[in-house]
Amino acid sequence: MNMHSSDATTAEEAIAAQEALPPLTNEDATRVAMQNTLLTPRFYTTDFDEMDAIDVTPVRAEWDVLIAQMKADPNKGHFKKTADWDTVDWDGMEPKLKAEFIDFLISSCTAEFSGCVLYKEMKRRGSNEDITTLFQLMARDEARHAGFINDALREAGIAVNLGFLTQSKKYTYFRPKFIYYATYLSEKIGYARYITIFRHLEAHPEKRFHPIFKWFREWCNDEFSHGEAFALLMKTDPALTESRVNKMWIKFFLTAVFATMWVRDHQRPEFHKALGVDPAWYGQEVFRKTSEITRQVFPMTLDIDHPRWQPTLNRIQDANVQIAAGERQGGLGGKLKALGGRIKAGVNFVSLLTIPVQKNVVPDSPRLEPVY
Amino acid sequence: MGWITKETETAPCTVTISHRFEELSAHVRFDNGTTVNPGDTVQVQGPEILAAFGELVEEKRTAVITRASKLEQLWTRATGDFEFMELCEFSFSEEVLS
Repeated sequence: MNMHSSDATTAEEAIAAQEALPPLTNEDATRVAMQNTLLTPRFYTTDFDEMDAIDVTPVRAEWDVLIAQMKADPNKGHFKKTADWDTVDWDGMEPKLKAEFIDFLISSCTAEFSGCVLYKEMKRRGSNEDITTLFQLMARDEARHAGFINDALREAGIAVNLGFLTQSKKYTYFRPKFIYYATYLSEKIGYARYITIFRHLEAHPEKRFHPIFKWFREWCNDEFSHGEAFALLMKTDPALTESRVNKMWIKFFLTAVFATMWVRDHQRPEFHKALGVDPAWYGQEVFRKTSEITRQVFPMTLDIDHPRWQPTLNRIQDANVQIAAGERQGGLGGKLKALGGRIKAGVNFVSLLTIPVQKNVVPDSPRLEPVY
Repeated sequence: MGWITKETETAPCTVTISHRFEELSAHVRFDNGTTVNPGDTVQVQGPEILAAFGELVEEKRTAVITRASKLEQLWTRATGDFEFMELCEFSFSEEVLS
């Protein structure tokens, strides 16, 4: 009898146990085992000189504490399979739920992987030691998360393919400030998403259909500290969050990210049903936590309790359903339907932007600890 | 660099792929110190590099860098920002499944 990887005490043992697993025999599982998912991360460049010119002196004390904490690597031992890693009944999983959950795992793995590529590139191209150290540490965490999700995918019989390296890749460009806004928000919303699910499943353990959710708390603490680092970076240059134009960018970013999250979550009904979570409740809860956190550095929060907020998000979701239906339908009629959906989505997105924001007085020190 | 013409050059590179439990990552490093700019395209030559689970593979290869024309570079710089949503993590793909 082979040892199951959940009985392993070290990563090496878990790997050995995985390798020793007998081939899957169930017909469906074998079909799944044939799947080979090509990871397709994107590649970016930025203004590396501008990034090198960052001077963390104004936030030095807090910066050093945060970097020391990340260097100490409190989560080093966390991403291992322990006895808590229950056996997953992939065969018994309802097919639609399985498809959505696998999409969840692959998307999360790709996101971690792309983050790792981006951070590593910055580490390599930069020469400012404060900045390169930070990116090195973040790349380490992302690669670790990606490895952990990859293992969960392997259990489901899905092998990721890293063959993209020999394919032609184009490098796009982001100004550093866009990287700060987007990654800051991404890390913080990631924290809010993971912790909300974790707390929900703590209260309803019977809904935990996969053991990976048990790892979400420490996982999201990594996301949280990455976000903290970007908050400090933004603090080094007040214009990044205070100039008129940048305030408009921040509002745009918040709105775009929240709206996208709303639409994508509503597209995965089975996943949320299995967890016993209403996507609308979940969305609002994540927005609330994210808003509260981003008060550390953003001069405004979105008014998510405004009477127009949720109805407009729902209309964007409807428009999205229309776009997908139009694309599936094809032909001229389908194209027109999709076009109509795009216009509807655009109009409603602009409508969201017209909801007045709630002004926020940013504290002198941005540093926060994860408390949810 | 021409305004419209593209130039191609090759660079020796090191490809590192970690396909391990504790780390999943893949990187290309140019060994001659060259750097890529907005709009450039990079392709590593040779067959697909495969790393079995549990392996860390490092290979010396040659990369072909197709330099973007000046115009393309300016365009990428001006428009790249609008693709920022790709930097955000949403747990799910945008694909409609059912």
